[in-house]
Amino acid sequence: MAFEIPKQIYSGAIKTVSIGKGDKAITLGGETSYPFYVFEGVMPNKPRVAMEVWDKNPGEDWAAPALEPVKDVAGDPVAWAQKCVKEFGAEAVALILVSTDPNGDNASPEAAAATAKKVAEAIDVPLIVYGTSNMEKDAEVLKAVAEACDGFNLIIGPVQDKNYKQIGAAALAYKHTIVANSPIDVNLAKQLNILLGQLGVKDSQILVDPTTGGLGYGLEYSYSVMERDRMAALTQEDDKLQLPIFNYLGQEVWKVKECKQTNAEAPQLGDQTKRGILMEAITAVDLLLAGGDLLVMRHPEAVKMTKSIIQELAG
Amino acid sequence: MSKFYRIGENLNVVTKVYGQAMKERNPKPLQELALKEAEKKVDYIDINIGPARKGGEELMEWIVKIIQEVVPDIPLALDSSNIAAIEAGLKVHKGKAIINSIMARPERMDGMMPLVRKYDAYMIGLLWGPEGMPRDEHERGMLTAEILAKAAEYNIANEDIWFDPIIAPLNIQQNQLMADLEYMKMLQDMAPGALSTCGLSNASNGVPDELRPIINRTYVVMIQRYGMASAIVDAFDDELWDLVDGKKPEVNKVIFDIMDGKSVDIPSMSKELQAYAKTARVIMGQVLFSDSWLEI
Repeated sequence: MAFEIPKQIYSGAIKTVSIGKGDKAITLGGETSYPFYVFEGVMPNKPRVAMEVWDKNPGEDWAAPALEPVKDVAGDPVAWAQKCVKEFGAEAVALILVSTDPNGDNASPEAAAATAKKVAEAIDVPLIVYGTSNMEKDAEVLKAVAEACDGFNLIIGPVQDKNYKQIGAAALAYKHTIVANSPIDVNLAKQLNILLGQLGVKDSQILVDPTTGGLGYGLEYSYSVMERDRMAALTQEDDKLQLPIFNYLGQEVWKVKECKQTNAEAPQLGDQTKRGILMEAITAVDLLLAGGDLLVMRHPEAVKMTKSIIQELAG
Repeated sequence: MSKFYRIGENLNVVTKVYGQAMKERNPKPLQELALKEAEKKVDYIDINIGPARKGGEELMEWIVKIIQEVVPDIPLALDSSNIAAIEAGLKVHKGKAIINSIMARPERMDGMMPLVRKYDAYMIGLLWGPEGMPRDEHERGMLTAEILAKAAEYNIANEDIWFDPIIAPLNIQQNQLMADLEYMKMLQDMAPGALSTCGLSNASNGVPDELRPIINRTYVVMIQRYGMASAIVDAFDDELWDLVDGKKPEVNKVIFDIMDGKSVDIPSMSKELQAYAKTARVIMGQVLFSDSWLEI
């Protein structure tokens, strides 16, 4: 008898979510097998890479190698976003509203909404707008953003169990997609999706952010939660988890000691720029293998490497 | 179906009113609770005084006396990590008490097993080893062997040991609930004649209060199927009583069908049966747990 390669039987599929508008709108999801197992199923929409843009100049918050490529536009989110699209090939832009942090600049929801609208108007790729994970402030800010950007089909988040009602209602009213964020726990991820469903948010409007750890700093936890998420979705027909996965990894990778130490501070670790880029690219590839559909990344070189790997694996 | 023993869990120092009564040596609330548990026909009343590092001996002796004064026919399970307090309780206890519990750690076994013979008591053999909680049914089996070996040294019969495989919360350790079921299938081969018990409510720890009973009830049916002889439970959960007494065979059938992987038509069931069916599917790992598991 000839040898037959054992095949996983799948009973479910990931649902599709479309973001943005016009020619550059993107569809995510649709997988019928584990990530890149194209010999067992299909991956009709390959994973996408968005680039991170802050609404203020990150200055010393960013390691020098990460700031270098954008230092001419840092502080001008519109120009920064355009540069990511035109020069670095970003397939989407993730505007992080760092200035709204109540423990920092504490910018008003109106100011943040005005910035988001300017950026949305200046680019043709989908726009992700992310808050600072402060539950109360994010609820106010993202509500204002949703209203100001009516018609753009933004992706707004993070939406958490304590503010899903306010942000979910705004997303429904102004037709945006939301990112449901839970703390590295597959049961809690499922619960939040159920609650959003009860509120009336359709599955086609939800991406799942399982909380992302960077290489060496918790990546393995994110990885195994994403694996469990996909197993439940694809082999247990768990329809509340059959949603595309969103990973905000740029920040997690570049904030760690190994990325911030300069060549003078840590000569034994090799070149800082090369190290940071590789750490970001390796984190990205790991997340893709666990099921990531939309990655938010920081360094243009890491983005380039990640996109070429997606191309090779998904065709 | 053989008799299922119920150990009432309600008399516990962590409950505010009873903790206060213990502290003030006020017998009335404690005696009233014991009488109410007796009305529910519990087989044992658990007396949990916590770690009781200071004054534990005197407290346990006092409680045993005032409880047995009002319910002389119901033996007690003496629950504390303070060995001297347990012994003080055993000294004054009438009838055959249960020592709750002796861990599978050498120093605990050597410290407490002599009390079993000396006072002709039962013991709960808690499968908590030197490295903490066992990870699966095989580690539970190993800890059982350790307890049996030590028990032989102290001349304790299998029939005097209630093995407690340790129930973990469904919402974070569903696989441990499966391990407990697998363990129960092996217990009588390892320890013929031994009894068993479990802290059932732990299965629903961390779940919203109003949703906890359905998990406890479903799981007790599952584990009773494999020979679990008793549970430390809420004395006032009447439905749980009916289940372990076999008065709801239609519920048992649905749960067993799901355990056996048979296909069941959940939407056609009554609301009550649906809740049991959905819970059984979550416990078996066929559906991933979430707090809204009954609504979807």
